[in-house]
Amino acid sequence: MSLAPAHVAGVGMVRFGRYPAEVTLERMAVGAARSALADAGADLGAVDALHVGHVFGGPVAGQRIAAQLGLDGRPVSNHENYCASGATAVREAWVALAAGLHDVVLVIGVEKMTDRVSGGVRPDPGDLDAAVGYVMAAGHAMSARRYMADHGATREQIAAVAVKNHAHSVHNPYAQYQRPVALHEVLAARPIAEPLGLLDCSPISDGAAAVLLCSPAGLRRLGIEGPVPRVLAVGLVSGAVQTGTGDLNAEDVSHRAGEEAWKLSGVGPADVDLVEMHDCFTIAEIVRMEGLGLVPRGQGAAWTADGRTSLGGRLPVNPSGGLLSRGHPVGATGAAQVCELTWQLRGTAGGRQVEGARTGLAYCKGGTVNGTDGGSVTTVVMAR
Amino acid sequence: MSPPQTAARARPFRDGLLRLDPPRLLGSHCPACGTTAFPSRTFCPRCRAGDGLVETELGVEGRVHSFTVVRQAPPGVEVPYVLAQVDLPADDVRLMARVVGVAPEEVVLDMPVTLELAPFGTAEDGTVLLGHRFTAAAEVAR
Repeated sequence: MSLAPAHVAGVGMVRFGRYPAEVTLERMAVGAARSALADAGADLGAVDALHVGHVFGGPVAGQRIAAQLGLDGRPVSNHENYCASGATAVREAWVALAAGLHDVVLVIGVEKMTDRVSGGVRPDPGDLDAAVGYVMAAGHAMSARRYMADHGATREQIAAVAVKNHAHSVHNPYAQYQRPVALHEVLAARPIAEPLGLLDCSPISDGAAAVLLCSPAGLRRLGIEGPVPRVLAVGLVSGAVQTGTGDLNAEDVSHRAGEEAWKLSGVGPADVDLVEMHDCFTIAEIVRMEGLGLVPRGQGAAWTADGRTSLGGRLPVNPSGGLLSRGHPVGATGAAQVCELTWQLRGTAGGRQVEGARTGLAYCKGGTVNGTDGGSVTTVVMAR
Repeated sequence: MSPPQTAARARPFRDGLLRLDPPRLLGSHCPACGTTAFPSRTFCPRCRAGDGLVETELGVEGRVHSFTVVRQAPPGVEVPYVLAQVDLPADDVRLMARVVGVAPEEVVLDMPVTLELAPFGTAEDGTVLLGHRFTAAAEVAR
């Protein structure tokens, strides 16, 4: 079964970062939305529906945004899948277009974190993991320690993910950090959850990203001619309850998300030219790429240190700078990844352009549930 | 003389998770495929059987499969502390728990640990809410 692709008529972002209180969630969302509409040359009147991905935005954040943007009265839906919220909003827009329900859907991913999240994001307070002291960094730290023991990887190789992504971010005007970081800085950073330090962790961020998705009829409505990048499919899976004492880094949930992506899009892993990967922590980029089957098991750390996932390498990962450098306003990240893939597939990514990019994959993994290998995982497949 | 604090009433911090005397974690065992799950579930996560599951006490001896020393936590949580993925070989179960009884820098992979109870909070009526953690086995602690 495959649904018709969604055409990306326009994308827009506000730079991710830390903004004062007066830069509200609504204001950032409106800014990103207007950029995406301008990018498409579209008026608000052409938009059939609004999908908003967010986690901490409070009740009917999407409708609050619509009332400030000028989309009041339209169908508005809010989508929460923790860090995969933005990508889930994209998925539901793709489904609505394929179903023939709408022809032009605006998707906004947005989060205002700096005034409501401190000390890192956490699972739901009722989750058993929260009761024993789990924080996200701790889960990834345990993943990293086991990965090093099982595969002979080094701390330096894992830290190389941060060095690589920060080097990429220098070329991304929307990134929270646009500066290179040296390996010794990553290794010497304040410890957060050993062996991971501050620079192994994505930051707390504010920001918004917007994507205007269309059916062929929607493209005609907007007067857009010629090919535009397409969302071929969006895979979505959930973590499964684990039993036994197997590989802590098996990432079966990532494997299943990859299989969904290939099945729904008709694209195979060998076709992927670049990946926007949910590197909420350095080690996460490594084990998730392996779970997808895009990097051989146990070799992701060495691949990173050898430059194979850098711009110009065999399979560039996170040319945008990733979450580590672009920032991670959790609900916005999935939409920001789609913005990045769109620019890459248009060939307009400037200093971070992946040469000849034809097919891209964007992966998000959101949340944790006690006893499972993850909350939600999305895989967006896009083609030129 | 006031009675010692240990005389206070206590109960598991979550129903069905553990027994207090002797301290034991409670899981669900599937007779159909032999899989034990913790915490207890109403279905077997491995063979998906939906009935016939029985409550079972888990073994108290564990091994540290992986661990971290948490140095930054949300406000109100004291750091540092050791959080671990603990394997219970007798039941083929892995769970997450804190590890105590050993300095953070002394924790190593595969270290033997033993279940113990610890206060996780206090109920409104003053009852102590007990939860699970692991402590370094005697030969390590010495």
